[in-house]
Amino acid sequence: MMVPVRCFTCGNVVGEHWEEFDERANQGDEDPQKVLDELGVDRYCCRRMLVSHTDLVDVVSPYQ
Amino acid sequence: MSEEYDVEFVERGDREARFLVRGITPGFANGIRRAMVADVPTMAIDTVRFIENSSVMFDEQLALRLGLVPLTTPPEGEFVEDDTVTLSIDVEGPATAYSGDLVSSDSLVEPADENVPIIELKDGQRLEAEADARLERGKDHAKHQGGVAVGYRHLQRVEVVDDLPEFQEPESQIVRGVVEENGELVPTSEFDHDLSTRHPGKEIRLEDVPNAFVFHVETDGSFSVEELVTRAVDSIEARATELEDAVQL
Amino acid sequence: MSYKCSRCKRDVQLDEYGGVRCPYCGHRVLLKERSRDVKEVGVR
Repeated sequence: MMVPVRCFTCGNVVGEHWEEFDERANQGDEDPQKVLDELGVDRYCCRRMLVSHTDLVDVVSPYQ
Repeated sequence: MSEEYDVEFVERGDREARFLVRGITPGFANGIRRAMVADVPTMAIDTVRFIENSSVMFDEQLALRLGLVPLTTPPEGEFVEDDTVTLSIDVEGPATAYSGDLVSSDSLVEPADENVPIIELKDGQRLEAEADARLERGKDHAKHQGGVAVGYRHLQRVEVVDDLPEFQEPESQIVRGVVEENGELVPTSEFDHDLSTRHPGKEIRLEDVPNAFVFHVETDGSFSVEELVTRAVDSIEARATELEDAVQL
Repeated sequence: MSYKCSRCKRDVQLDEYGGVRCPYCGHRVLLKERSRDVKEVGVR
C-alpha cells in the first residue's frame, strides 16, 4: 500500500527517501544502486525496503 | 561519571558516528550497546484519536505508521517517563499527508523527519486525527529505540611481518571496521576492507587490541549520536547507584 | 443514516421487517457508514 515508514529489520527510517527514489529510479531511468547510495540507504535490509516496494493506493482507491 | 574513559572519534556526524573507546571490558561495552538500544527513552506516538479518516487505509494501519515516525526528544529532565505531548494532523485530498503535517503542541517534540509519507489522499478523502506522544524506552516498544544498528567491534592492530614467499598466490584478507596501524586509526573502507590491497605481497599479522572497542552508532533522528551515548551511559550509572543503594547495609 | 445503498447512493434506515433492501431502488447491497464519533486507537 504505502511505503513502510521504517526498515523492518533495523528500524532505520526509509519512508522519507521513497518519493525521490521512486522519481529517479522507477519513473526515471537512473540506476537504483546509485540512487540508493546517494540517498544514504547503505544497508541491504533498508535497500530492499525501497527496491521491492509498490504503491497500491491507486489500485485500491476505486473500491472505496 | 567518576572514572574517565579514553574516547576517540573516527567519524562523527549528527546521526551517525564511529568512535573508539579504550579501557573498558567487553561486558561494559555490551552494556553501553544495550543501554543505547533499549534503555534511553524517546518520544513516539502512543495513542491516536481519529476524527475523520476516509482514506484507503484503516485507522489501525495509520496509527501504526504514525507511531513509527521519529519525534525529537526533549532534553533530559524536561519530561519524565509517561508524560504526553499532543500532535494533530489535518490533511484533505487530493494530497499526501506527510509526517511534517503533524502539528505539535510543544516545540520540543516535533517530527524529526518531515518527508515520511503517511497516506496518499484522493479527491474528497480526508484525514483528521489527534495523537498523544509518550516518553518510553526501547524495551517497551521498538518505536522508542533511539539507536539504530548500534554495534561494536574489537579494535584490530595490523602489523606487517614480512614479505610473502615469492610464488605464493595473493590471498585477500578482509577486515571490517577500524584498524590500528602504527598507532594510527584507519577505517577499513579506505582500502575496500581488504588488507591485501593495502599491503600487496606482504605477510600481515592481525591481532585484537585488548579492551579497545570501536562503536558504530546511528540514531533515528530523535537526538544526536552524542546525546544518545551520554544518555545511555547515564542510565547505566543510574542503575548502578540504584543497586548500590539497595544493597547497602 | 447508518447505511447507504451501493447503487443509488441514498441513505437507508435498516428496517428489521422489510429485510435488507433499499426502499428507493430495491438494491440488496447496502454499505455501512462510518460512525461520526471519534475513534481512539492504541499504537502497539
